[in-house]
Amino acid sequence: MAAISPQHTFDGDFIDAPLVQTDSNRFVCLEPDYKPFVPGNSLRRMTRVLKMGLTTALKCLSESGVETPGPIVTGTGKGSLQDTEKFIKEIEQYKETALNPTPFIQSTYNSVNGLIALQQKGTDYNNTFVHRGFSFENALIDSMMLLNEGYTHTLTGAFEEMTPEHFFIKSRIGHWRTSPVNSSAIYDEYLPGTISGEGSTFFVLGNAPTAKSLAAVSACKLLYKPSLERLSATLQELGADADLILSGTNGDINHEDYYTVLNEVLPQPGLPFKHLCGEYETAGAFALWLAAALLKNGTVPAQLFPMIPSLPADFKKILIYNHYFGEQHSVMVVERV
Amino acid sequence: MAERVFITGMGMITAIGDNVAGNFQSLHQQKTGLGFTDYIDTIYKAVLPTGEVKHDDAALFQMAGIPVQKGYTRTTLLGLIAIKEALRQAGISNVKDVPTGFINASTVGGMCDTEKVYFDLINPEKEGDFIQSIDTLDCADCTQRIADRVGITEHIATISTACSSSANALMFGARMIKHGLYQRMICGGTEALTRFTLNGFNSLKNVDKQFCRPFDNQRTGLNLGEGAAYLVLESESFAKANNSTILAELSGFCNTNEAFHPTSPSPEGDGAYAAMKQALEMSGRTLEDVQYINVHGTATLNNDISEGRALERLFGTAVPPFSSTKPFTGHTLAAAGAIEAIYAILAIQNGIIFPNLNFTEKMEELQIEPVTQLQEGVLIKNVISNSFGFGGNNASLVLSKYEG
Repeated sequence: MAAISPQHTFDGDFIDAPLVQTDSNRFVCLEPDYKPFVPGNSLRRMTRVLKMGLTTALKCLSESGVETPGPIVTGTGKGSLQDTEKFIKEIEQYKETALNPTPFIQSTYNSVNGLIALQQKGTDYNNTFVHRGFSFENALIDSMMLLNEGYTHTLTGAFEEMTPEHFFIKSRIGHWRTSPVNSSAIYDEYLPGTISGEGSTFFVLGNAPTAKSLAAVSACKLLYKPSLERLSATLQELGADADLILSGTNGDINHEDYYTVLNEVLPQPGLPFKHLCGEYETAGAFALWLAAALLKNGTVPAQLFPMIPSLPADFKKILIYNHYFGEQHSVMVVERV
Repeated sequence: MAERVFITGMGMITAIGDNVAGNFQSLHQQKTGLGFTDYIDTIYKAVLPTGEVKHDDAALFQMAGIPVQKGYTRTTLLGLIAIKEALRQAGISNVKDVPTGFINASTVGGMCDTEKVYFDLINPEKEGDFIQSIDTLDCADCTQRIADRVGITEHIATISTACSSSANALMFGARMIKHGLYQRMICGGTEALTRFTLNGFNSLKNVDKQFCRPFDNQRTGLNLGEGAAYLVLESESFAKANNSTILAELSGFCNTNEAFHPTSPSPEGDGAYAAMKQALEMSGRTLEDVQYINVHGTATLNNDISEGRALERLFGTAVPPFSSTKPFTGHTLAAAGAIEAIYAILAIQNGIIFPNLNFTEKMEELQIEPVTQLQEGVLIKNVISNSFGFGGNNASLVLSKYEG
């Protein structure tokens, strides 16, 4: 697996890395040097999320040591926002004439998948899900079906960017806190809105454990606008025997009810993760990455969770519960191999 | 043994008809829906033909059976009209009676409306009710509004793989059924014309100023279209227990990638060849069992060479009758796969092969040419329906006559 996120997840040892914080209400990724992954002439044409997506996918493949990517399945809520914004503006600016097609091509939601396939000569199944908080989770379900259908492995991931312009647009409908808050203090006070995030995360998923396996995904369940009762029943069913809970709580009082249910139904030790990555459509992919990293490490690094007084140890089964602004809810279960 | 997947309902709206019957009538009468746009604000209004649904938004609200209100984009309205017909035809009065998933497809979601207010949205000085359309830009918006309106509360997803999007939605839904996750799924796509896509394709210099001419030696590009189509898929055991009317079987499908170029297929049609071949293998049918191919046939220079070569590679000198229906509807992008899957079923049900309009001159690169006259009274048991897109995304479906 590989991840570009606001934390030190791409290079080096995340477990010992310092916690990155922001006071801007907008978490941005720590971007690596892309040159080792993408040829210079391609790099110049590519906007941010394309570089992040492609590079994470390539790093993931090399880390996992698979020769061919196999099926490539991804999720993204917004695709390449930067290219979409650019093309809208160029249409206006140049009065619909003599437009450069590159931002249009790159704005299509499946362009990262196409680039990965192109660079890796991946001619297998290729799909992109674009449904807000269900984008990555649908990609994961699709991948699990593919593994069941006989593929030995899949390349499965998610990518998301937040631009200053889109941050402003979403502020107009109350997505973010109105006053600046430190990213690690978002759980201190429950107020309307949260902080925005972004990231790119990829996994090689296999149909059988290997010496390199980091963790096993044993369940992924999606609930669309569930009642509290339905949510409660699902959490109980999938998580009663989990020994650690990763919660998508983000300090937004508008949609906190569900996390209250989580705490009631599953009182096991829990960790929040949005202070590490911010809120975005495919934050679930980051959570899965984090769960696998924690399972591999065996303990929780204290510096990354300063708000948790007593850190859980000895956990084998992690339940991740997350929702995107109260509508798309997902529950994933990850276990030690 | 995984379940077979049947189609038990279908609904659609395109430039050639407001429902399935209307579409069939236009296909049968060889009546094109191409013309000039009434609704897009573009300098190409009278220059670039499109396959536009000739109803303004107010009329679409009425056809969708909901009051005029903010937040419902043309993409959503087209989708609602189509899905309601699909549910009616499948005899589903309450979608909650049986757990039913919904897999939708779109390439630019609510861009049709967002692009009109975008500069107001980013201007802090501007206030107004346009703010209610902030969330309509992404592709999930139309899916959720459609789901909410018809009462779908189970699994939902939106797929965007350019022009193969709704073919992939059908595949994903069919696979969920085969995996036993659901017994019934509604799958398809919706796409409205936008200034964004029109300028996008035009900037690539592959939009024709005339009506498009798929597989013609003089072809110079595609015409964009809009529309929506949904199919109700049911598992064999459920369809039989439920006494559903089975319209056809989705007997095979395959998704492959070209890995050749971001916007053009490989000259030899490697991805198209693999997609058709594997879809046919899955269906258990042989090459001789295919009576008609509804080709992707966009009329772009590259697609038609590549797709034509793939046909010749797969079928040799016995390429079945084939045609592109893009000169009827325009290229409806994400909706095309589902619209053309319905056309394939109409071909099976009515024993008709639709003509490839506007064809006059055989391509010099190919030995084959499309069907140009309406053919009636043909026994059609299996149809291949192709959808290929940017990013190298190829999808082929095999639709088969239901024979118990």
